[in-house]
Amino acid sequence: MRQLFLAGLAFLAACLISPGLGQAQDALIQPILQEHQALIVKSSRKTIGPAINAVASSGLPQAQTVLEVWAAKNMWQRKSDGLFFIGEKIDSKIYTLTDFDSGELLGEFLKSDLKQLKPNSGIRALIGTALVQFQLSDPDIEARRAALLSIERDPEASLLAPLRASIEGETDAALKAQKQRLERLLTIGYDEDEAARLAAISDMSGDLGVDVRATLNPLLTTKRDVVVGAAPEGANIAALLRPGQGEFDRLAAYDMLVAKDLAPARISKDDIRTQLAAHIDGARVGGVPVAQLNTDANRLAAYNALAEAGTVPAFVSDTAIEAALAAHTFFDVYLEPSKAVTDAATEALKDIKLKVGLNQMLDLTLDAVSLASIYFLAAIGLAITFGVMGVINMAHGEFIMMGAYTGFVVQQIIPDHTVSIIVAIPTAFAVTFAAGVAMERLVIRWLQARPLETLLATFGISIALQQLAKNIFGTQARPLTAPGWLDGAWVMNDVVSISYIRIAIFILALIFFAAFLYIMKRTRLGLETRAVTQNPRMAASMGINPDRVNMLTFGLGSGIAGIAGVAIGLFAKVTSELGSDYIVQSFMTVVVGGVGNIWGTLAGATMIGFLQKGIEWMNPSNTLAAQTYMIIFIIIFIQFRPRGIIALKGRAAGD
Amino acid sequence: MQRSFIAKNPSVLIFLSILALFTLLVTVMSEGFGVGGISTSFIKTLGKTLCLCLIALALDLIWGYTGILSLGHFAFFGLGGYMIGMWLMYERTRLIVVDSLTSTEIPPTDGEVIDAIGNQIFGVVGSSEFPLIWAFADSLSIQLILVLLVPGVLALIFGWLAFRSRVTGVYLSILTQAMTLALALYLFQNDSGLRGNNGLSGLQNLPGVTASQDHVSLWFFWASAAALGAGYVLCAWLVSGKFGSVIRGIRDNEARARFLGYSVETYKLVIFTLTACIAAVAGALYYPQAGIINPAEIAPIASIYLAVWVAIGGRGRLYGAVIGAAFVSLLSTWFTGGQAPDINLGFYTIKWVDWWLVLLGLSFVLVTLFAPKGIGGLFDIVVERRAAKEANQ
Repeated sequence: MRQLFLAGLAFLAACLISPGLGQAQDALIQPILQEHQALIVKSSRKTIGPAINAVASSGLPQAQTVLEVWAAKNMWQRKSDGLFFIGEKIDSKIYTLTDFDSGELLGEFLKSDLKQLKPNSGIRALIGTALVQFQLSDPDIEARRAALLSIERDPEASLLAPLRASIEGETDAALKAQKQRLERLLTIGYDEDEAARLAAISDMSGDLGVDVRATLNPLLTTKRDVVVGAAPEGANIAALLRPGQGEFDRLAAYDMLVAKDLAPARISKDDIRTQLAAHIDGARVGGVPVAQLNTDANRLAAYNALAEAGTVPAFVSDTAIEAALAAHTFFDVYLEPSKAVTDAATEALKDIKLKVGLNQMLDLTLDAVSLASIYFLAAIGLAITFGVMGVINMAHGEFIMMGAYTGFVVQQIIPDHTVSIIVAIPTAFAVTFAAGVAMERLVIRWLQARPLETLLATFGISIALQQLAKNIFGTQARPLTAPGWLDGAWVMNDVVSISYIRIAIFILALIFFAAFLYIMKRTRLGLETRAVTQNPRMAASMGINPDRVNMLTFGLGSGIAGIAGVAIGLFAKVTSELGSDYIVQSFMTVVVGGVGNIWGTLAGATMIGFLQKGIEWMNPSNTLAAQTYMIIFIIIFIQFRPRGIIALKGRAAGD
Repeated sequence: MQRSFIAKNPSVLIFLSILALFTLLVTVMSEGFGVGGISTSFIKTLGKTLCLCLIALALDLIWGYTGILSLGHFAFFGLGGYMIGMWLMYERTRLIVVDSLTSTEIPPTDGEVIDAIGNQIFGVVGSSEFPLIWAFADSLSIQLILVLLVPGVLALIFGWLAFRSRVTGVYLSILTQAMTLALALYLFQNDSGLRGNNGLSGLQNLPGVTASQDHVSLWFFWASAAALGAGYVLCAWLVSGKFGSVIRGIRDNEARARFLGYSVETYKLVIFTLTACIAAVAGALYYPQAGIINPAEIAPIASIYLAVWVAIGGRGRLYGAVIGAAFVSLLSTWFTGGQAPDINLGFYTIKWVDWWLVLLGLSFVLVTLFAPKGIGGLFDIVVERRAAKEANQ
């Protein structure tokens, strides 16, 4: 007896150690396959599990090959002895077989002597899962990365163990960190040990990753349920609900009762109508003349008469609904049974939410800054012409459009995007500068003392230019492609990111700002411009030629609009309406900021950019409403600072 | 008093008789009552043009006479159209709904009728509830009052805010443009309660009227002509009296008018609100003839075109505004409708559909530069010549 026991123990030990031993010796995989021959040949998703496990956990180096070959439908069985081999097609009838263990070629065989194993998609998925553990420790780093990605996409409880096993041997530090992170997430989702899950949750709380939220949120999935009397003991209840409070509608609650057969179905107005129509008896229903059925009260009376007669189900009155609702308990219950886990997840999500909120604020601020710099770019040219010359240039938007189209044309000629942008910026400046000077010479000069007429004349030019662009370039949007190094975004974490184009536009706005300040404060032209702005006659008597200054100023403003057009064209579609999309915002920027002061334009652009983003944040689904509210806000703002945020004081203010 | 007003303004009588003659001529030529030389759709175009002349009068009053360039009067025009459109659409839908519901076995309750109307009207924007602003849509008389009240109150509030803080000149123009843009953007939303960008449609059908469109279009044409005539007399009376002198004074030198003791803000507010109401009446007559109104109608560009018409016609004179609006809008219809013959240059064919706006824009620049008095200025030349001749004799 004792000997027998010892023998059994030895056998057991041998069984346990055998994989380890097998690796040391030249163990064969064929016997394992043969052991599960029946299952393998039967090829059913339900029963195949042990066979795959046996191969995968054999610890043999050949196991991976077997699984791969199997999944690829290249495993063949020799009918004569039932052994499995790698089959390779020579022609339609002849196949060569290769042994899994020795790897030696066994020669050619007739197809009729062989049987191909064709695992279905379900089995292939199981094999794929089993393969993951091999891929996770694959010598090729790309294969490991791919395996990790596939787990991330499609996490499963069975992948947790192989993932854990592979962390130890991981050589690449980045990949190791990634594996560890994924292991934590899988632990939260799938580990059997509650303590381990709690530990993992507390490890990951405060992490901003989308994957963490995607792991934690399903833990808090609830199901709405109802029972007679009090709520069940032991259930992990998220909240008790009272019908008619908050979002939980009374009628919806009653419908839940009906769906569970806890109450008779409600009779809706439509039901009453249908039943009445079905039971018209002569010209009456339930004793009420049909012609009088045009009020709800009469209909109900007729229906109750029918119900008393037993022809229709009784009407469920409001008091009956109330009583039924009172007799039951409604509650949301977590699908996750462990209260400790759901509590921890709620706590962790609260933490994360706070952090995400803060980061969203940061993201919003970045967005607002970028929007502000776009408005600044679009408005700066306008601010120059409006502020310095008092000229409202309604065609300013069309100069922006002209710049964008110049960029497009340059890009047609120079295919390299980097070079073409570098060429396009000065070209756009030159083109719009020339257009601006021409406009100043031909039109605006003649209308100097009449601002409203200038507004209308430039508007006429704007109509003509817009239609002209439509005639030349067509109505469809033209692309202005950004160079490759501007593609992509600067990603700080899963919440905060900003595209490189927007950063570039921000930098461009800063450059313009600096250049403008420099020109105005440090150059002869700036000095003359400021003099003409303050008092044209006095300036003229000091030897400044106001005509020339006006012309150059207008050209400069238009030229900047052209460059802004190139910048805007990089992220917006270039159409003939490009300019009119920005013109109102540009005017708002100038008017809100205050005329004749570049700091004002900066302040105006910042305010409008932040305001628009802020309103959009409050009501993200509705950008139209956001714009409406913004304009209303600006109209009210003008009430309190009619001359803008930064108003010129003293003589410079004019009037 | 009345005599002296007419005597002071001979142009009023001339204008009214031309308008009456024109109306009579069109009626005689129409398909509904006359020989049928003018198609019904063209009657509608003429009727709409008369409405545009009316709003041009309003703009001339505020721009040409008071010196306030409003780029937002189409907002009031559109609101007027929306107010009347609500009743037209509600009542027509109600008739259709009642008609279809009474054919069922059981007579409908009031609640069912209203639900069905709501479904019909707001189905396109995924709703069936009546928004609060439709509370009076079932009453023609209240909606007619609202045609004046809603744009009037909006103008009053906006004008009070704007004039109180002394926003003037181009700032005010930009601000009025922002107002109409804000309104258009708001109406574009589906939950604005006015069917979003679908707008209100089917307005050409008068509910409960079985007469054909041939007749209905003429009725609206007469109504538009009457409104234009009344509007012209009202404007002429206003500008010929003391009120007119004051607003012209404000136009020419606002500060001086203020120092002379006139409450400039009040005058501006009155004229702004009044012209908004005139615009609203014009809109309420225009859109039943157009048949459909949507928020695109009140986009800022429409109000700018209005300024173009008045400028080309000649501002500061009432008939100038009428001439400009009629001339440019009819010309625009002709060119963009594809009726204008294309010009073949051999190497390029000028298609007017594409080039009309370029022409309009450039001619606008030319008018501003070389003929600031517009077409109306031509009359001055005639008058001056006669005066010169008389002086010579």
